[in-house]
Amino acid sequence: MKNKLTPKNILFGLLVCCLPLLMYGVDRIALFLSGYDIYLGLPSGDYMLRIIVRACLYMLLAIGLNIVCGFTGLLDLGYVGFYLIGGYTAGLLMARLGVTYWVALPLAVLNGALWGLLRGAPTLRLTGDYFAIVTFGFAELLFRIVKNEQWLIGGPNGLVRDIPPPAIFGLTFNQNWHNYYHILILLAFVVFITYRLENSRVGRAWVAIREDEQAAESMGINVSRYKSLAFAVSAAIGGLGGAFIAQFQVNISAPFFEFWESILILCMVVLGGMGSIRGAMIGAAILGSLGEILRPGFIVPYQFGNARYLIFGIILILLMRFRPGGLILKKA
Amino acid sequence: MAQFLEQIINGLVLGGIYALIAVGYTMVYGIIQLINFAHGEIFMFGAYIALMLITVFGVPFWVALPLSMVLCAVLGMLMDLIAYRPLRDAPRLSALITAIGMSLALQNLARMIWSARPRQFPDETLPTIFLSQNAISLPGGATLPYRDVFIILLALVLMVALNRLIYLTKIGKAMRACAQNSVAANLMGIRTNRVIAITFIIGSALGAVAGVMVGLREVVTPTMGYYKGVAAFAAAVLGGIGNITGAMLGGIIIGLAEVFGAGYISSGYRLAIAYIIMIAVIVIRPSGLFGKSTGKRA
Repeated sequence: MKNKLTPKNILFGLLVCCLPLLMYGVDRIALFLSGYDIYLGLPSGDYMLRIIVRACLYMLLAIGLNIVCGFTGLLDLGYVGFYLIGGYTAGLLMARLGVTYWVALPLAVLNGALWGLLRGAPTLRLTGDYFAIVTFGFAELLFRIVKNEQWLIGGPNGLVRDIPPPAIFGLTFNQNWHNYYHILILLAFVVFITYRLENSRVGRAWVAIREDEQAAESMGINVSRYKSLAFAVSAAIGGLGGAFIAQFQVNISAPFFEFWESILILCMVVLGGMGSIRGAMIGAAILGSLGEILRPGFIVPYQFGNARYLIFGIILILLMRFRPGGLILKKA
Repeated sequence: MAQFLEQIINGLVLGGIYALIAVGYTMVYGIIQLINFAHGEIFMFGAYIALMLITVFGVPFWVALPLSMVLCAVLGMLMDLIAYRPLRDAPRLSALITAIGMSLALQNLARMIWSARPRQFPDETLPTIFLSQNAISLPGGATLPYRDVFIILLALVLMVALNRLIYLTKIGKAMRACAQNSVAANLMGIRTNRVIAITFIIGSALGAVAGVMVGLREVVTPTMGYYKGVAAFAAAVLGGIGNITGAMLGGIIIGLAEVFGAGYISSGYRLAIAYIIMIAVIVIRPSGLFGKSTGKRA
């Protein structure tokens, strides 16, 4: 992708950079007009910023999942497992050992990558459905473990308010706008890395494996090595997301990492079109914010519970039926 | 000793239920190579439909059970017609994602209709023989409720009936032909789509029975289809996916393993045992315990 400094791009960049200021402005105007933080039943700017941070986190995770699902064409139903590993690695290091976030973050990424390799090794030969089932079982096993083990990770309660906010140069990250810039930098880093990978020898090897594994093998691509690399990079990004959520949510517990979270991320990748980084980001932005809007108690009445998952399910079915390539059709 | 005996009985009953669900997974996989994730949801709907028929419409149990089977069969057929048939020639991944979407949608639809509250078949609506105090006393102090005898016998009868259907009837022959090679079967004049629809009908009806059975022993919740469905799927994988007899035996093994694991290791890891068995089988021997090693992996 060429970087073009068109006015549109510059404007978009400015908007992204000044978003917290904008949201702050929304809050001030609302306060001025109504005397309250919440105006006309709309959520406050600060709350919207929080939703945006979550959407950015989903973008990061969707990009990570897209590496395995989109580039190498294997259906990973257990991506949330790496997210969990990253979250608990960073959370435990910070809460129990008092390690600072800036050390815990790379360790969580490395641990994610390690588990990506460990899970990848026995599944290298598997394709299609069987790969999907093993990844699903892997994530569910991890979920059961964190839900049941009390002694270190708090069982069903998780790590409750034990994780200190990260600080740098005396500035403590405890405001939403801190987290916004924080996730923006992480996201930019991940986007940069994945774009570079996609347009390199590695990315072309991944796509070759997706198109035809045997042909790729016979053209001299070391399929096992490139698949392992894809698993590791994808899992590392999941670990990065987990480390972020650990400090963002202050406490983490098993329900953060349920199976449906994997499906939600998959849904984002599919919506944007598998194999496209931009698609994954747009899918995550749409579904991430839609998921917040459809949360019970906002538009959807409480008694309907998680109607949003009903809608995500229908989106998956309709997309596969009518637009299997996703909303963003990648140019061949 | 009494506890051990009761665990074996529990395991066998659970195994029979799993076998009934697993057959639905394995038959569909055998013919269209699709892991029908939503099969667990059909099973859950079977339980809810019977429950609603009994509690809301006052239908007697012996009518509600077959009625629930029929309604679930229709649901299964519609699911195939609406969601899976248009994707018959699409990449397999698309159909799998559709199945996941279907499962997600149906599960949350059930949650919207019936709420997440666990429900039970009220005692006064059931035939008195099913009440938990009506039990055979076994030597050693163990008890065997008539309910469990009924479940095991019904599961056995249905399994044998299915086996006969597959091996002795014309439609069974057509199903086996489609499982071997659906294109060739189609060329031989078998209406493949109709055979697939019938497969969904049979699988869904058996799933509905399993749902009612679970309702008799435990509670009915919107997530039961997901939890029991995965265990039943593990049973199908263990028996060699596509292999119906294997699915029955796999169901019994998973049922026993789950009950003994929960009883003697930790109840929190009930489901984990099924997952571990499933992963181990796929990684070590993808063709399953009873499947033929064809060298072809899904």
